[in-house]
Amino acid sequence: MKTLKYFIQTAFLLSLILMIFDSCKTSLAIKEKTGSVLWSENCSRCHYSPDPEEYNDAQWDVIAMHMRVRTNLTQEESEKITRFLQDAN
Amino acid sequence: MKTKLILIAFFISGINLLQAQDSTQAQIQSIKDEIAIIKKPVQTHFMLRGFTQFGFDASDENINFNMTSFNPVLLWRHGDRFLIEAELEMEYMSNQFEINLGYANASYIVTKGLVVRAGKFLIPFGTFGERFHPSWVNKFASQPLGFGHDGIAPSGDLGIEVRGGFQLGSSKLNYSLYAVNGPRIKDGTEEPEEAGMLMFKNETENNNNKAIGTRIGILPLSNSSLEIGLSAYYAAPGSSHSPFEGDPLNEDLNYENVTAMLTAVDLSYVKIISPLMGIIDIKGQYSLSNISNAVYYNPEDTSRYTFTNESSAYYVQMAYRPALAENQILKNFEIAGRYSAYTTPVGSLWADNKSQITVGLNYWLSWRTVIKANYQINESSMSGGHGMSTMTGGNGSMFQLHIAAGF
Repeated sequence: MKTLKYFIQTAFLLSLILMIFDSCKTSLAIKEKTGSVLWSENCSRCHYSPDPEEYNDAQWDVIAMHMRVRTNLTQEESEKITRFLQDAN
Repeated sequence: MKTKLILIAFFISGINLLQAQDSTQAQIQSIKDEIAIIKKPVQTHFMLRGFTQFGFDASDENINFNMTSFNPVLLWRHGDRFLIEAELEMEYMSNQFEINLGYANASYIVTKGLVVRAGKFLIPFGTFGERFHPSWVNKFASQPLGFGHDGIAPSGDLGIEVRGGFQLGSSKLNYSLYAVNGPRIKDGTEEPEEAGMLMFKNETENNNNKAIGTRIGILPLSNSSLEIGLSAYYAAPGSSHSPFEGDPLNEDLNYENVTAMLTAVDLSYVKIISPLMGIIDIKGQYSLSNISNAVYYNPEDTSRYTFTNESSAYYVQMAYRPALAENQILKNFEIAGRYSAYTTPVGSLWADNKSQITVGLNYWLSWRTVIKANYQINESSMSGGHGMSTMTGGNGSMFQLHIAAGF
C-alpha cells in the first residue's frame, strides 16, 4: 500500500511541475476565443465535452444556464458556448 | 386595329402578372409570419436530467449488487435570468432504500457576474461536493474519504448565496459567499460515541445564528485548465440550552460557545497533452476542521472528557485517457488512481486514522456513460467502529464493477 501511495503522490507532484511549464505558454483572452474552443476548455474541467447534437436549441438554453450557475462561468463564455452548441446541433 | 388588340391583351396580361406577384408575396409573408411564430423563443423550458450508477462490490466479506445512485435532476428555466433546479438522491444498498433531497433552489442572474441563489444548494466547500459528486463525473465508483455520511465538510444546506465569475485579464476569478442554517454539534445524548462531531444534516435549526462560508477560485491560465480554490466556513453549532437539562449531574454541560472553523484548498487541472496522445485529469482537495474545545460526557463509564477537536481529510487523484489514439477502442479507456486519507480527533470516541488507495480502469461508452472497474485498499486504525465498512473506510480490500450514466 505504501508503494502505491508514494506512486500516486509522486505522479501528482510531477503533474504540478507539468502545469508550471504549461503556464509559460502564450495565452488568449476569452473575447478572442470561439464558442467551440470555450466549449472544449470549460466542459472538460468536470466531464467530457458533450456532442452538440445531443440536445435541441431550447434544451441547450436550459443546460447552459444550469452549468453557468453551477460552475461560475462568465456570461461571455456561457453565451458563446450556447451559440456554438445551437449552431452545431 | 390589330395593334390595339395586341396592346389590350398585353395590358390585361400585365395586370394579371402583377396580381399574381402580389399574391405570391402575400403567401411568402404569411409563411414568414408562421415561421416567426414557430421560432419565437418561449419563456419557459423544463428538462428532466440526472444520473445513475449500479454494479457490484466484492470484498473479503461478501459480494453485493448495489444501486449506489439514481438521481433525477429537474431543471426549469424562465426567461434569461431565472432557474429552478432540484435533485433527488435515491440509493439502494444493503437492502435499504433511501431517498433524500440533494438540492432544490432558485437562482436569479442579477448582472453579468452576480447570481443570487436561495433554497437548498450544494455547498461550495472545495469542489468535490458541488461539481464532481455525480457518479458519471466521478472517475471512481466510490467517493474519497471524508465526503458523504459523517464527512468532514457539508454537502448541502438551506440558505442564501451570491456567486459568479468574471475575467481578470487573461485569467478568471469565481466566487461564492453564502449563509446557511449550519451544522449542529453532536452532544453525545443520542450517539455518545460520536460526541463532538459536526452533524451537517440539520434542516431544523437549534440556534439563532447562521453558518457563513465562502469559496474563491482562480483560473490563472487562459485555457481554463488549472483552477485553484480556497474555501472557508464558520459556524456556531451549539444550542443555547444544555442537552442535559433535568439531569442534575450534567446540566452544567453546555455547547453554546462552541465554534467550528473549516477551511479547504482544492486544485483541478485538465488538459490535452499532445505528446502523451491523451487527456490528463488531476484533482485534489485538502480540508481541515477545527472545533473549539468542550467537555463531553461518556455514559459508559460516567466520566467527562475533552480533546483537541481537529480533523483533516484530503485526496489526490489522477486520470489519463488516450483520447488522441487512432485505435477506436483504446481511446475510450481511461486509467485512474486516487489516494485519500481522513484523520479524526485523537482522544475522541470516534478517533481514527483512515487511508484509502483506489486504482481504476474505466471504459467510456459515450461522453456520459462509463464502466468503472476499481480495486480499493482501505486501512483504518479503528477496527469495527461505528459505521465502518470497506465502503466507508474499514480495513480490507474491495473490487468494484459499476456502470454510471448521465441522462
